[in-house]
Order: sequence, then C-alpha cells, then structure tokens
Amino acid sequence: MLRRIFSIAANTFRETIRNKILYAILAFALFVIGMTFFLADLSVGDFARIIADVGLASIHIFGVIMAVFLGITLVSNEVERKTIYILLSKPVRRFEFIFGKTLGLSVTLLLTTLAMATVLFLVHFSYRYGGRAEVGIFIASAGIYMELVLLTCLASLFSTFTTPVLSAIFTLSLFLVGHLTKYLYVLGDQSKVEAVRWASRFIFYLLPNLENFNWKNEVAYGGLKSFSILGWAAGYLVAYAACVLCLSCLLFARKDFK
Amino acid sequence: MIRQGPILSIERLSKSYPTGFWRKPVRVLSDLSCEVHANEIVGFLGPNGAGKTTTIKILNRLAFPDAGKVTLFGGQVRDGADVRRRIGFMPEQPYFYEYLTGGEFLRLCGQLCGMSRADTESRSSELLSRVGLSGARDTAIRKYSKGMMQRLGLAQALLHDPELVILDEPMSGLDPMGRMEVRGIIRDLKAAGKTVFFSSHILSDVEALCDRVIMLHKGRKVAEGRVEELIGAETLYIELVVSPVLPADRLAAAGIPPDAGYAQGALLVLRAADNGQANRWIAGLLREGGTVLSCVPVKKGLEEIFMERVGGSDSTGATS
Ligand SMILES: Nc1ncnc2c1ncn2[C@@H]1O[C@H](COP(=O)(O)OP(=O)(O)O)[C@@H](O)[C@H]1O
Ligand SMILES: [Mg+2]
Repeated sequence: MLRRIFSIAANTFRETIRNKILYAILAFALFVIGMTFFLADLSVGDFARIIADVGLASIHIFGVIMAVFLGITLVSNEVERKTIYILLSKPVRRFEFIFGKTLGLSVTLLLTTLAMATVLFLVHFSYRYGGRAEVGIFIASAGIYMELVLLTCLASLFSTFTTPVLSAIFTLSLFLVGHLTKYLYVLGDQSKVEAVRWASRFIFYLLPNLENFNWKNEVAYGGLKSFSILGWAAGYLVAYAACVLCLSCLLFARKDFK
Repeated sequence: MIRQGPILSIERLSKSYPTGFWRKPVRVLSDLSCEVHANEIVGFLGPNGAGKTTTIKILNRLAFPDAGKVTLFGGQVRDGADVRRRIGFMPEQPYFYEYLTGGEFLRLCGQLCGMSRADTESRSSELLSRVGLSGARDTAIRKYSKGMMQRLGLAQALLHDPELVILDEPMSGLDPMGRMEVRGIIRDLKAAGKTVFFSSHILSDVEALCDRVIMLHKGRKVAEGRVEELIGAETLYIELVVSPVLPADRLAAAGIPPDAGYAQGALLVLRAADNGQANRWIAGLLREGGTVLSCVPVKKGLEEIFMERVGGSDSTGATS
C-alpha cells in the first residue's frame, strides 16, 4: 500500500516539476523576493523588519498561488484525461490514489517554498543588512508551508467533484476566511442569542484556522518564544488534513468515471 | 491448472446514467448476463453506444452498476488488489501521462502492480518490441501518435502477465498492419493460456479471432455463442466471377436470368442460389465463351446474424 502511494506521489511530483507554468510562477516569485535586496535604498527605518515582512508575505502569496494552481487540477485532470482508468485498473485503491496525489504535490510545494525562503535568507544575510543569519525566515516559512499543504488537501477535495474554476474559487474563499476565523469567533461571542454563539463557535472549529500557521510577526519581532507553537500547528495540520482527505476519499470511493 | 467455473461471470447487470437534474436517466445496460471461461477469446460486439465500454468499466471498478453482480475468478470484483493483479486492462482510446516517456510509464505501471524493478525492465523491453515500440521507449508520450498510444496501451495491459486480459476496442484507430499485429498478440495470449475479453464494433475483426462472441445492442444481449455455431454451415449464395462481361443475349442462352448479377469493371459477378444452379450456370457460361475465374460459397456472417437479431429485438422492444 505504501509503495503504491509513494509511486503515485513520485509520479505526481514529476508531473508538477515538469510543468512549465509552475516554473514561470516560481521564477517570478524568486525575482520579487530577490528585489527586496534593493528595498534598503528606498525605505527608512528597520530594514531587516521590512525585508522580513515583504519577503515573507511574498513567499506566502506565491506559495498560495502555486498550491491552488496545481491543487485544483490534481484529481480532475486525471479524470478528464482518463489517465485514472489505467491507475485504478491496477491494484491501486482509490484512497491510495488521493493520498499519493496529495503527497506528491506537498513535496513539490516543499521544494518551492524552500527555494523562496533560501533566496530571502540570502538577501537578508547579505552585507546590506548586516550579514545576520536569520533562521526565523525558515521557521516562518515552515508555517507557510503547513498552510499550503492544508490548502492542497482542500483543493484536491474540491477537485474530486467539481471543475477547476470552482475548485479555485472554493479554495481561495477558504484561504481568505481561514485567516479571518478568529474575528468570526469574536463577533459571534458578542451576540446575545445563545444559538448564534454556538453556531459561530461551531463554524469557527469547522473552518480551517490558518492563523495557526502564521508566525511572521513573532519572527520579525525577535523570534519565537517557544517551539511548542510549531508542534501544535503540525498537530493541527495533521488532524485537519486527515479529516479533509478522508472526506475526499469518501466522495471519491463510489464515483463513476465518464 | 484446471479451473472449474468461469473466470468472469456477469449476472443481471443494469446501469443507468443520469442525463440531467430533471430528466429521466438513460438505461445503458439492461439485465446483461454472460460468462467468460478460461483460455477463451471472447468478442464483445455491438454498434457504437451499445454499452460495451460501460460494461468494461464496471468490470474494472471504474463505474458501479445499479443492479447485478460481477464475479471474477470465482470471487467478487470488490476483492481488490489480488484480483486486479491478475487482470490486464486497456481502455478505449487510451491516454497516458504526456510528461513521461513510454519506458517511464511502464516503470510506473510495474511499481503499481508490485513488480520488481528488474522484472519490469525485462518485461517492458519484451513487450515494447512485441507491440513495435522499441524505438519509442525513451520518447515523450507527448510525441506519440494515436496508433502508438494504442500500442502502449496494450503493453501496459500485459506488463504484469495477467491471466485475464480485457481490451476495449483494441483494433480501432489502427492501420491494417497494426490490426493484424494486434490479432497476432491476442492469438499469442491464448496460446500462452490466457483469457481474452475484448470489445469491438467491427464484426470482421472478431469473426476470424474469437472462440465465442457476445452481441450487445442498446444494452441488451442479442446473441451469444461459439462463432461457428452462430455462423453455421448455412450458405447464403454462391458467388461466381466471370470474364468477360457477356452481353444479355448470350447470358440468356447460357440459362442465366438478367437480374442474377452485375458487371464490375471487366468482370461479371453472379449470385447463384445453390450448388446445382451454380453448376448449370458454369456449364452454360463455358459454352457461351465465358471464363469462370472464381466460385465461392458465401456463408452467413456475424453481420447478417446481428442484423437479423437486432431486427427481432427492436420489434419486441417496441411492445414492451
Ligand atoms: N457517463 C455517461 N453519462 C451519460 N451517458 C453515458 C455515459 N457513458 C455512456 N453513456 C451512454 O451510454 C451508452 C453506451 O455507451 P458506451 O458504453 O460507451 O457504448 P459503446 O462502448 O458500446 O460504444 C451511450 O448511449 C452513451 O451515450
Ligand atoms: Mg466504447
């Protein structure tokens, strides 16, 4: 079972890294992040802060673009092109297919995130910023990466039953809402009606809370206080992703292919 | 190994597809039952839209029936991995990952079937040369022609040396050479003790190749049986080819009615009802200075049988 999941993951990885559009997005992202090198000339104040803010925000945005771009066609492309007929007629179970596809894309995103973070690290490390080796960039990027994996799982869930365009809309909506859930909680809690308070809490726990993966500020303001936040986020990711993947598998299990 | 029951048994399969939110679903398969036994070549015949692909998808768990049961190797189809490893499948108009080469694709298939790397490599080389793709092993599938895709489809279906090979329209989209090669491969499979179940809408491909045929029309089975039983010994007519084209008066003198044939270029083609008539005509033709180039009894083909049965099933279909 694991061998088959890894084979499908490896093939998905190969599919994504042979995708020219991904390279275009990545090249542009690296260019933008590299340009922060020149921010020092334009701005006054804490250069290191600015570069961390702008640089990490770039990694975040471009990461989301890549995850959504690749994730929305993850399953639907195989169904559309009927390549899935071959895979599923082999001794491959449908959940192995879903897990393998998601795993493969996660590896691709790991490499692209790492590439972006490394460029930012190097800019930061350069003489203009005092040659400080800011490990925080990688720690914040790890949070961004966890968020991307969760978005990939969501995109592949939508990709099992709807078109790429709708998948993109759903995934991006959840991305936006996912960064605002705590306001939902706060707003809901102010209500006088108990049912509304309960409903808002329910939705709060149902929706992905992507702020759990956001350590940009902590990193920029002098590093993380403790690493337990990382562990907690990883746990949250595993639990939430497992639920999303199981739901995908359920929806996919009895699907008729056209 | 001697096997008792059928390798593949389909019992009362029915399937409908939804056509829209409000409209009635369309019936694609109605109460289809049939069996495939060990070491048979079985042709699954029917015009476009008969439901062949749908049936084959159900056999491969790519679609699920509304009712009915599929039993493979004596166990249920849902048994999963172990059953799958014994089946090879080539879909209709197969399509593969275009970013892979033919060799890479077969390697992936080998991994998924649990084959060792060395095994996969040697089987791949063997099969690629068998289907005539040796030279394209390291070519990106993106650059493959439709016929090459079909050949690669055959190679991946046979890679893990399956007992039962299910092919959906293996000959369509191939040139005459390609069709002949595919027929050869199917015959070799039978010689190696395998069982082949393949669909086709071209009756002549099937007639020469199959032990048994199952004919499908509008989702219903219209005929099933051994090819020679279906075709029978019955002769439709005897075709005489004569040269030169004799004028009408000399034909009349030879005892041949004017509507017995037609001219085809410099040749005259005649259809005699039976052997006696053919012999009387030949004697007359020789007397009148004609030369008989050939004399062939034309048997009832699958095509005629199919048309007969379909005519019958259509009239019953209208009343039910
Ligand atoms: N996914 C589907 N949705 C709706 N109708 C379908 C679907 N697949 C097949 N059909 C219909 O089912 C019938 C049988 O199709 P198919 O099994 O592909 O026939 P064949 O392979 O014998 O040509 C056709 O009329 C086709 O339009
Ligand atoms: Mg078909």
